[in-house]
Amino acid sequence: MENALPVPPIEKCAHCYAEIKNDDVYCTNCGYPLQGTEFEQKSFIANLEVIGIDMAEYNKKVRAAANTLYYLSGVFILSGIINFFILKDNADVLAIVIPTFILAMLFLLLGSYCPKKPLACLVSGLALYIIVQVINAFDSPMSLAKGIIIKIFIIGYLIKGIKSAIELEKMKKENNII
Amino acid sequence: MSELSDIETAERQICVKCGALIAKEHRFCKSCGARQSAEKPEESDNKWALFKQVAFFYSIYIGVCGLVSFTHIFNTILLFVSVEVVLAGTAVAFFAYNWAENKKLLVWRNFSWQKLAAYGAIAVAGSFLVHYSVGWLNVTIFSRDEQYYSIFAGTKGAAFYIVFFTAVTPALFEELAFRGYLLQTLLKIADTEQAVYVSAFLFAIIHLSFISLFWLIPFALFIGFVRIKENTFWYGVFFHFCFNLTGCLFAWL
Repeated sequence: MENALPVPPIEKCAHCYAEIKNDDVYCTNCGYPLQGTEFEQKSFIANLEVIGIDMAEYNKKVRAAANTLYYLSGVFILSGIINFFILKDNADVLAIVIPTFILAMLFLLLGSYCPKKPLACLVSGLALYIIVQVINAFDSPMSLAKGIIIKIFIIGYLIKGIKSAIELEKMKKENNII
Repeated sequence: MSELSDIETAERQICVKCGALIAKEHRFCKSCGARQSAEKPEESDNKWALFKQVAFFYSIYIGVCGLVSFTHIFNTILLFVSVEVVLAGTAVAFFAYNWAENKKLLVWRNFSWQKLAAYGAIAVAGSFLVHYSVGWLNVTIFSRDEQYYSIFAGTKGAAFYIVFFTAVTPALFEELAFRGYLLQTLLKIADTEQAVYVSAFLFAIIHLSFISLFWLIPFALFIGFVRIKENTFWYGVFFHFCFNLTGCLFAWL
């Protein structure tokens, strides 16, 4: 009688290939419905794909924001070099040029650490950029209007990046992605 | 039977959804399929709102610090003190806004004289290091402090005011603002490491001196990690106080 209904022993999850036990209803590693209907199993995979697409979209925005930081770094290096040659004979040339190069370095660092710590780098980058604008505005109020469209784009990219980084961390936590 | 003994030997947890007993390392419940997530989803929903709150708080600081550093309208004692009051008030208001959670930072459990002395000594040593390296860089970092000296010069009890406004109030209110409110809020948005980095960076750049960043960032990172490690903000206050007092004495003597 015992051999009438042979149950094939399930050993590995069909989705993630993690080891499982016979009576597990769901995979303990990925949540795949081992004993669910075909529909349940298919919609499980479809759901994961949706999450993957969302994450790819957010990752793209974070990358765009990181590129904005690199762009800013380049702009400051360029303006530092140009200022250096314009003010070469000025006694205070280093006092003007060195802070510009420090800014360029900071943006470069923030950009390069962005893939590792996106939220920290983007929030820092945005704060730094806004402070630079405020300092320039105190120096000459008209400087705010200079290249205003580019400035709005830069801030927009950074804010979108921050929003996406927050979403990404939330998704990673909720979906147990390490 | 074998499963029972497995569960008995391994650490256990209770499924967040169905309450079944499952092994600790399982990321999904074997009987209902629910994710065993450390964080409840509803808590993470307001991260963006918290971020905007932090941005609002920081904008006030940028505005006030910018006005003080780049205009010379705060050159009387009354105006100068009113700026300090505005910054301190901002710090207190934001800190108190989430009083129920933030008040636990003000508790000083495991008070230890040894630790206090050690942090004080590190602060004094750090201040020496900064003073001499900055002297070497030929940059006056305490330019804002020099402004203090000129404001209070000739006043009765000038020494007292200078120590009060360069060592006591910054230690207390900057800590309350940056290691108190800001770090505490960032911890809800990001993981511990990123929260400390951001709070340190924001603290450093609000001083509006890019050359001073080389010591401001390590300084703020150190206090940030001390604050996380000791779970109280008083060691940071003491560290900050010792650091600024040493700097103040340097400029003075």
